[in-house]
Amino acid sequence: MSVGKPSAKIDGLEKISGKAIFVDDMQRPGMLHAAFLRSPHAHARILSIDTAPALAIEGVHAVLTGADLPVNYGVIPVAQDETALAVDKVRFIGEEVAVVAAVDRQTALLAAEAIQVEYAILEGVFTIEDALNPDKPLLHEGRRKASNVLRRVFQKYGDPEAGFAEADVILEEDYFYPGSTHVPLETQGALAEVDGKGKLTLYSSTQIPHYLQRALARILEMPSKKVRVIKPHVGAGYGGKSDPFANEICAAALALRTGRAVKCILNREEVFYAHRGRHPTRMSLKMGITQSGRITACDFKAVSPGGAYASFGVVTAYYFGVFLPLPYKLDNLQFEAKRLYTNHPPCGPKRGHGAIQPRFALEMHLDKLAHAIGMDPAELRRINTVEANTETCNGLRITSVALEECIDRVKAASGYDEKKGQLPPNRGIGLAASAYMCGALHPIYQNDMPQSAVQVLVDRSGSVAIYSGTADIGQGSNHMLAALVGESLGIDPENCVVLEGDTGLTPVDLGSYSSRVTFMAGNAAVDAAEKIAALLREAVATKWECEPEAVRLQGGLAVDKHDPDRQMSFEQAAILAESAGGTLSTVGHYTPPKIGSRFRRQSVGPSPAYSFTAQVAEVEVDPETGITRIDKIWCAHDCGKAINPLIVEGQIEGSVYMGVGEAMLEQHDFHKGGLHRAPSILEYKIPTVHDTPEIVALLVESNDPGGPHGAKEAGEGPQLATVPAIGIAIHDACGVWLNDAPFTPDRLLKAIERKARADQKAAN
Amino acid sequence: MSEMLPLPPFSLLQPDSVEACTSLLAQHPEAKIVAGGTDLLPSMKYGIFKPPTLISTQSIPALKTIEPHKGGLALGAGLSHWDLHQHADVQNRYSALAKACSQVATPTLQAMGTLGGNLMLDTRCIWYNQSQFWRGALGGCLKCEGDICHVAPKGTGCYAAHSADTVPVLMLMGAVVEFASTKGLRQIPVADLFPEDGLKGPKALPGELLTRVMLPAPQGDIVYRKLRTRGAIDYPLLLTAVRVDRDAAGAPTGGGIVLSAIGPRPLQVQGASEAIASGDIEGAAELAYTQAMPLSTHTTPSTWRKKMVRVEVSRALSCLMS
Repeated sequence: MSVGKPSAKIDGLEKISGKAIFVDDMQRPGMLHAAFLRSPHAHARILSIDTAPALAIEGVHAVLTGADLPVNYGVIPVAQDETALAVDKVRFIGEEVAVVAAVDRQTALLAAEAIQVEYAILEGVFTIEDALNPDKPLLHEGRRKASNVLRRVFQKYGDPEAGFAEADVILEEDYFYPGSTHVPLETQGALAEVDGKGKLTLYSSTQIPHYLQRALARILEMPSKKVRVIKPHVGAGYGGKSDPFANEICAAALALRTGRAVKCILNREEVFYAHRGRHPTRMSLKMGITQSGRITACDFKAVSPGGAYASFGVVTAYYFGVFLPLPYKLDNLQFEAKRLYTNHPPCGPKRGHGAIQPRFALEMHLDKLAHAIGMDPAELRRINTVEANTETCNGLRITSVALEECIDRVKAASGYDEKKGQLPPNRGIGLAASAYMCGALHPIYQNDMPQSAVQVLVDRSGSVAIYSGTADIGQGSNHMLAALVGESLGIDPENCVVLEGDTGLTPVDLGSYSSRVTFMAGNAAVDAAEKIAALLREAVATKWECEPEAVRLQGGLAVDKHDPDRQMSFEQAAILAESAGGTLSTVGHYTPPKIGSRFRRQSVGPSPAYSFTAQVAEVEVDPETGITRIDKIWCAHDCGKAINPLIVEGQIEGSVYMGVGEAMLEQHDFHKGGLHRAPSILEYKIPTVHDTPEIVALLVESNDPGGPHGAKEAGEGPQLATVPAIGIAIHDACGVWLNDAPFTPDRLLKAIERKARADQKAAN
Repeated sequence: MSEMLPLPPFSLLQPDSVEACTSLLAQHPEAKIVAGGTDLLPSMKYGIFKPPTLISTQSIPALKTIEPHKGGLALGAGLSHWDLHQHADVQNRYSALAKACSQVATPTLQAMGTLGGNLMLDTRCIWYNQSQFWRGALGGCLKCEGDICHVAPKGTGCYAAHSADTVPVLMLMGAVVEFASTKGLRQIPVADLFPEDGLKGPKALPGELLTRVMLPAPQGDIVYRKLRTRGAIDYPLLLTAVRVDRDAAGAPTGGGIVLSAIGPRPLQVQGASEAIASGDIEGAAELAYTQAMPLSTHTTPSTWRKKMVRVEVSRALSCLMS
């Protein structure tokens, strides 16, 4: 049995021994290196570009500018507002203006610097107020509506007015959630080469080989079948590698131009400009509640200065609102969300995409409401939990839910009931909960084809190969595929070879985003594996003259259920099956169910299943400095079924870690003129081991009816409740609410001082 | 692997003795000295310095010795932070220095970075320690490629922060540094090493190599505190060192307070000795608070860093006096 068994990742040893090949490890004969010239201005018109001084430098093979790559693209088809190199205009400091391919990186950098660009500086758009001001310049001219609002979403369900009228307590407050970036260990990198027939192969550190193939074909005006994208090992993404990037497109274009292999790797600073991270978001939340703890209505507004290009920003605007009716019952909801254009590096999807910000506001808000009605905040959450096999007010179909169990487990493990209100001064405890999607029902481009397919090949040696278009970026999807196939075939996952992320060889999978891989590729893998298992059982049954149902595949053997002494090796079974029916290969696929919704417009948000999480944070606040020490975080996550519990725990720990960084440290922030405050990992602070609390991961299994062996997601959902749990614990410790994250010492100290003054005034 | 931030080209000289080194320094006035390289090389990658010649001190054995000296110790400038905080004599007799060395950056950087390098550390500022591209987009600053200080645009000086972890403790210990050059040896108290203007580095003369740091016999009790954003890696937001001297009965007779990372040079708090002698922790902390003027040289707000002066000094003194 491989499902449910904690085991090391099948590619773990390769990675820790340094043998795994990442794109920057790759070399090609005569390979060129690329470097960008970037815009020093936040908003300017390009008057002229003179590339001659760069081309004159020895060792320079090619220089490209926007004129060479004029085709617009964008990961979301309705917002194709990017070009690989700036055309006519630059829109943020750090935007790519030109690219050089040269014999080495140093020459390429030197040549990029030699390019002469004449700019006419334009007024910049840097704040929410700027972007909403019709008198400010437009970032993108020629849009249907002349505006710096990329997308406004307004949706209304039930009767919010009536809901508020029913409420005993109504609370309305503002919140702010800062921008943050992914900081993957490996920066974006690509290597492109063109074969003798003009076929392009791009190796890239990407989460989306399939979408990237489509984008390259479109931009380079080549048929898709002449473009092959291969994802080697990737050093993490967290959403930051879910767009097509300039370095990928330029490496490809330069390889086509020069006929040589071209490598284009971003340095750390450039990753901060490529960005696509968390949207900084100003929010306003109004909620009503009855004295008995029923949430009667919710009115939510969010607005985000999202940077110069759309990326996934249209989707972000929807995500801000559509998950609000989870995980608590809510009949009356309205929300308005705006994603704006500003002269900053573009925001995009980061772990918990679009759900992190509203979750922070809503959980903090719910705690305040619990205080207002005198109810234990954990109990308030518990009694409002959505139920299995129901539908939310905005038409999301809920299948399995084990949130109550998550709350109970996390309370028991943390000693919540004993600690709440009983801790010594300046110590506090907080509980928050959340839900997240397991893949988007609808693909990014409209089509009726499968979202994921997996091919399994068994040969006469007994070897098992799994072909999949999935993108393992470190999260363990390779192991997941091997474990599921191994389970069906009764063999150890270690004996499966996974070949993935190669658009030239593997069947299509849409990529690693929206926490879709386990659910969708997992189902495809089970489909393929069960088909091949049936062929094996049938062949063995013919030999044994028994029913195929009597043949069990387990422990690397085929075993007769009725006569366990009758066995043969998996290899013998494979030989029998191959002899009987020819080469053994099957394909399985996953197409999400067509879930009819009452709301036709609801195309963003529906998912085949949702995961649920409850977390408790325990903190100590130093009231003289405002420094918060997080002692411990307990996280119980309903992952449906843990295919490999060790990996699920790792995903929970990683999610909580990232939440701790966003709660306490991270600020992807800019000076007034749009210059990044600190584009380095010295000054952009992510937690070190010293700043990371002990994390206790608790696995809860609700066995989703649609998931592979009941599995749901675990890679994003566990981050959602971390920030509010910490914020609530800080309030429990020192009595102040921080409605603005991160909870930095200066911010907390100011709030503590304000409270002391207010208390003093009240006492007088 | 691609060189993400290539070093500018330079030639490397590796003398194996102090004499050879000083003579190379005399021959190459354009050269910079590199010891551990943990500060200089990142700055070179950022294009802040482009010296055509580097003279490495790594191969000079004399710079890596610890010897008894007039009741104290003479420390070779080439000793790494790791060497120092692992050394029994330093741990036992100069524990505050051991602690300061153990809080530099991370263990790997402690193993490379040297005492001499720490003393000669360039001042730091968020407007300055940035890449060439970034500084170009900014238009430079007073310290590099520009004529405005973004920390104090109306001022005339540079306010980049002195950020050397070991210095406040060395100052309170009364440490003296020794420079060697072809002209001979020169000694100067650590306290006199740092200029008021952040533009200039520590006061080494042309052709001089920092060779030794002399610690007198331990005096008083010293406590060192480093305030930083994270538990490792970060440069200081505030360095606090306090010394309490006592009479035979153990009563405080005086001492000192040195702060750093709040301006171009360490701050010796005036009146600290008297306040300590009178046992007035709050008064001493208030003196420090009044005299400290941190500016926006860090991403962390200076207003908070100033508030922390009172807290850090008071906590440091409380360790020794309550």
